[in-house]
Amino acid sequence: MPPKPRPTARGDYVETETGNKVSRKAQLYGTQHIFLSGRAVIQPSVCIRGDLRPFAPADPASSTASSGKGTSPTYATSVTIGRYTYLGTGSVLRPPSRLHQGAVVYCPLKIGDHVFIGEGCVIEAASIGDHVYVGKGAVVGKMAVIKDGVKVLEGAVVPTGMVVASGSVVGGQPARVVGEVGDGWGMYEGMEGGDMRELWRSVGS
Amino acid sequence: MPLSVIKSEGPRCSRNCFNCPICTAPLATSSLNPDPEKRAVSGPWVLSCGFCNWSTLELGWQFENKKNMHQQVAKLRNGGQSRFARTPPTDFAKSGGSEPPSETETPFVSELDDTPDAAFASFRSFYSSQLSASNPADPLLTPSGGFNYSSPSSLARIMSLYTGRSFGKKDTGKSSLMRETSDFSEGLRIVDPTCDDEAIRKLRTEGWTRTASVAQQAGQHHASNFVANLRPMPPLLRTKRSKRCRACRHLLVKPEQKVQSTRFRIRLVALNYIPTISFKPLQPSPSTELPPIDLKAIPPLRPSQFLLTLKNPLFDVVKVTLATPVQAPGRYSHKVTILCPEFEIGSNVDQWDEALGDGKSQRSSKFLGLSKVEYAGGESGRVAEAGKVWEKGRNWTTVVVEVVCAAITENESEEDEDVLEIPVFVRMEWEADLEREGKDEAKTERKEKRELAYWTVVGVGRVGKLGAASTS
Ligand SMILES: [Zn+2]
Ligand SMILES: [Zn+2]
Repeated sequence: MPPKPRPTARGDYVETETGNKVSRKAQLYGTQHIFLSGRAVIQPSVCIRGDLRPFAPADPASSTASSGKGTSPTYATSVTIGRYTYLGTGSVLRPPSRLHQGAVVYCPLKIGDHVFIGEGCVIEAASIGDHVYVGKGAVVGKMAVIKDGVKVLEGAVVPTGMVVASGSVVGGQPARVVGEVGDGWGMYEGMEGGDMRELWRSVGS
Repeated sequence: MPLSVIKSEGPRCSRNCFNCPICTAPLATSSLNPDPEKRAVSGPWVLSCGFCNWSTLELGWQFENKKNMHQQVAKLRNGGQSRFARTPPTDFAKSGGSEPPSETETPFVSELDDTPDAAFASFRSFYSSQLSASNPADPLLTPSGGFNYSSPSSLARIMSLYTGRSFGKKDTGKSSLMRETSDFSEGLRIVDPTCDDEAIRKLRTEGWTRTASVAQQAGQHHASNFVANLRPMPPLLRTKRSKRCRACRHLLVKPEQKVQSTRFRIRLVALNYIPTISFKPLQPSPSTELPPIDLKAIPPLRPSQFLLTLKNPLFDVVKVTLATPVQAPGRYSHKVTILCPEFEIGSNVDQWDEALGDGKSQRSSKFLGLSKVEYAGGESGRVAEAGKVWEKGRNWTTVVVEVVCAAITENESEEDEDVLEIPVFVRMEWEADLEREGKDEAKTERKEKRELAYWTVVGVGRVGKLGAASTS
């Protein structure tokens, strides 16, 4: 079960037009490049580095990426977060970086719907699917791809570039597949991997 | 992955994926080109681990090509040969007879050619040629030595076995004797009594750190005792499985056929038929001056109350009887009492009914919405009574459970012994509406009595230390 947040005063969260509940104590950088699909929960001390983008248009201060080559498309958004996704206290979301022709290049980071990210996680994945549960203190390494319906155990370190197949349970350092989620994964509200509407409702109200 | 590839290569990825033999993290293809500008396009390439910094350089492996990594690795593993083009029997092998080959006599047999893989391949081709020589008409055998059940001729042969008629040339009466392998080219390897001496010497000199762990050895095709011999392994492929009931063979789970899809064609999950159980502490009201219940340290030796909620997924009213052992099993006997073990849960409502009906009143009585209201104010001063339901909603009922934890003796407790789990026996009884289930043959009696009983375990938390609880 995702931990129930303690009831908090209404003013602790900013609710956006699309129903996202963003803690006033969260640190969001480059907000114009962060896309929240709606009804996401962002807890205090969460840090989202929307400012780490592939190519900075004529802004020498923000990035060292080589902007002239034009081999990859320019991404308007660097971080995408799906509906009813919950980012636990103190988690860090950084778009993954890689070396490309001797320069650091950032790729977009995408997180799906009904994703639970536990407390103090570090996420540098290329993408995380829907109905994914990431346990407390887990690290999802650069360019990792986590498919739909995956459970990442507490404290796991998903190594750089790992692709986690749908329905897996991964754990350990480095993480490896240690099992499969149950057949009912994602079907039930309030359970790991399940619908997160109630969790969203219970935050900040 | 096509089935033919899996049959020949095994259930491992045959693309460019490899796992680190040291730590199992995926390996990345990276360039060793000294010019950073050219690294994206030109080699030489190596496979390297981003987690533990191992790379194929430790095996002395470099690749000219970025693509077809799997074939390149297979080639290296088979001593420069691709997997299926094995060297034909050489003149030496014929002339050498049964004499065991030794390093000095066979300079062209490289160390890698002497791998178990190579030995197995020659073994297999030898015995399948023996089989086909002694029984040339056997269509069940494929050239690779496997059995071929899918060809029409083999089907005809199987049929002839049953009908008793002879088939093809099989009944010639001639059956030549099969012989065993006799030399190196046929896969024969004579065990050299001194062959382990080198390994034993290495174990002595190189010590623990250079020795591969059991897990590392298990990940390899051919276990090696030394870290230096570990090779990158392609990852195992994932399978989709259907599941059937073990009693009546009814299909319970059937994933969609499409490779990319993660959806199910059939998914019958028990939670659609049995109540969902949730368990949370009934915090004492502030006036009693008792400390709030911490699920990570439930106070021992005094009663703590919990709310047990059962939510009904069925569209019929269900009568529930709960039972639990007076003392939870295990080394420590925690006392558990369900204050109201017999109660009813209201029926679930179709989402359509809910949407079409009075939405407002339905919403306010929804599971979490109400329990929160009760949480905020209703709890103070209320006392749980035996035999009475604590709270009831449309399709859920909450009863109070009282637990008196035993004191955990710290010095002899093993790992996770302080975990409090309560076994609960659930018996449910309801009258199923046959009309709604679409079985209208039972016109006279529209309802059918049903009964279901099972054991389940409710995880609560951990029992606190005695000293810590008394000071707080
Ligand atoms: Zn490694
Ligand atoms: Zn059955």
